[in-house]
Amino acid sequence: MTVTWENGAHSTYTGEQLRWACPCAECRGEAGAPGRLSRVKSLNDDELKIRDVTLVGQYALQIAFESGHATGIYTFSLLRSLVQ
Amino acid sequence: MGIPSSQQVLEALSTIQDPDLGRDVVSLGMIKELDVSPAGRVSFTFELTTPACPVRDRFKSQAEDAVGALGGVTGVEVRMTANVRPAFMRPKPSEILPGVKQTIAVASGKGGVGKSTVAVNLAAALSKSGAAVGLLDADIYGPSVPVMTGSRRMPQQSNGHLLPIEAHGMKLMSFGHLNPGDEPTIYRGPMVGKAIEAMMVQVDWGRLDYLVIDLPPGTGDASLTLAQVVPLTGVAIVCTPQDVATDIAVKALQMFRRLNVTPLGLIENMSWYVCPSCGHRHEIFSHGGAESAAKRLGVPFLGAIPLEEGIREDADSGTPVVISRPESAGAKAFVEIASQVAARTSIQSFRQLPVINVH
Repeated sequence: MTVTWENGAHSTYTGEQLRWACPCAECRGEAGAPGRLSRVKSLNDDELKIRDVTLVGQYALQIAFESGHATGIYTFSLLRSLVQ
Repeated sequence: MGIPSSQQVLEALSTIQDPDLGRDVVSLGMIKELDVSPAGRVSFTFELTTPACPVRDRFKSQAEDAVGALGGVTGVEVRMTANVRPAFMRPKPSEILPGVKQTIAVASGKGGVGKSTVAVNLAAALSKSGAAVGLLDADIYGPSVPVMTGSRRMPQQSNGHLLPIEAHGMKLMSFGHLNPGDEPTIYRGPMVGKAIEAMMVQVDWGRLDYLVIDLPPGTGDASLTLAQVVPLTGVAIVCTPQDVATDIAVKALQMFRRLNVTPLGLIENMSWYVCPSCGHRHEIFSHGGAESAAKRLGVPFLGAIPLEEGIREDADSGTPVVISRPESAGAKAFVEIASQVAARTSIQSFRQLPVINVH
């Protein structure tokens, strides 16, 4: 996935990188409980392949994977921090 | 001396800068249908980005002067028009509100500062300037727009869509239209989000230059839903001058910043009161709080509105004060603020949101 930012700069991401960075509560854990991503060692191919990306307002992207997982809202600041 | 070429006329006009967009009016594409007659009469259309343009008259005289100073010109005819451009240079219109060019939210954080009064009058002032305007009342629990606009009727349906109520030249939709009378709306948060989304998707808004959205107080469900489902052009924050209100307004503003929604600026309501018996100006809620908060946060201060009995009376009787008493100080303040908002909104037409490609 390539994002062209407002200032014209480009950032490129792989599905795998984005899947492991998923910020949703199920993946990250909540209220002290560990999330799924800290419990599993590997993910299937269909969990790593991007199916669809939609803009959330003007501050984030919602990324849907082939597995159906689509609860992560990736803010632009998260996406920028991933490529730094 | 011969007549000037079109190129020379455009060069002369390109000395005029748009103060808000920071570029010259020719490269912004505002000059159209330029004609130079063999007798040296120059005529063209000057297309503003909003009919509520605060520098409309100045542009007209600057254009007349710049072209009139060219050798061989015997007359100048400037046709002033306006065409609101969509927010963000989007390749395709937004799916959720396809006919709406600009969406402007009015928020405050704190309740009771006059958000709805400001939203109604802002919408009415934009509409009076000649724009096609809609007003969406996103306050599900305490809808005020039906009373303030004298539009307490049930919306009609057509082809599975609700038709907005038309009043005072604007299109209106409020939960108060759908659930009238004394019956409260008792909803949990997620239902509020759904209700607001429905008022955007299931209402046939048609083609609008501006959709003004009156938000409920708070920094929760309603504001978050809105910032997620539509690319908001920007948000105007209303507050009263005292610290207890500006502090909360700042929180609201920072929330929208977090969501990457541009703050159009702060509006100070109930800024002063002129006593009808003694004629003195009283600053009941203090004065200047919003302006200093705006300065501190680095956002524009859009203007101050006086506390006037007429504003309240007309809101209760269902006609926005900018329509019922256009000569009042309150109405003039609203009109001035509306053109500031429109100017700030126009800037967003030249921004581009990030583009995503999946391959």
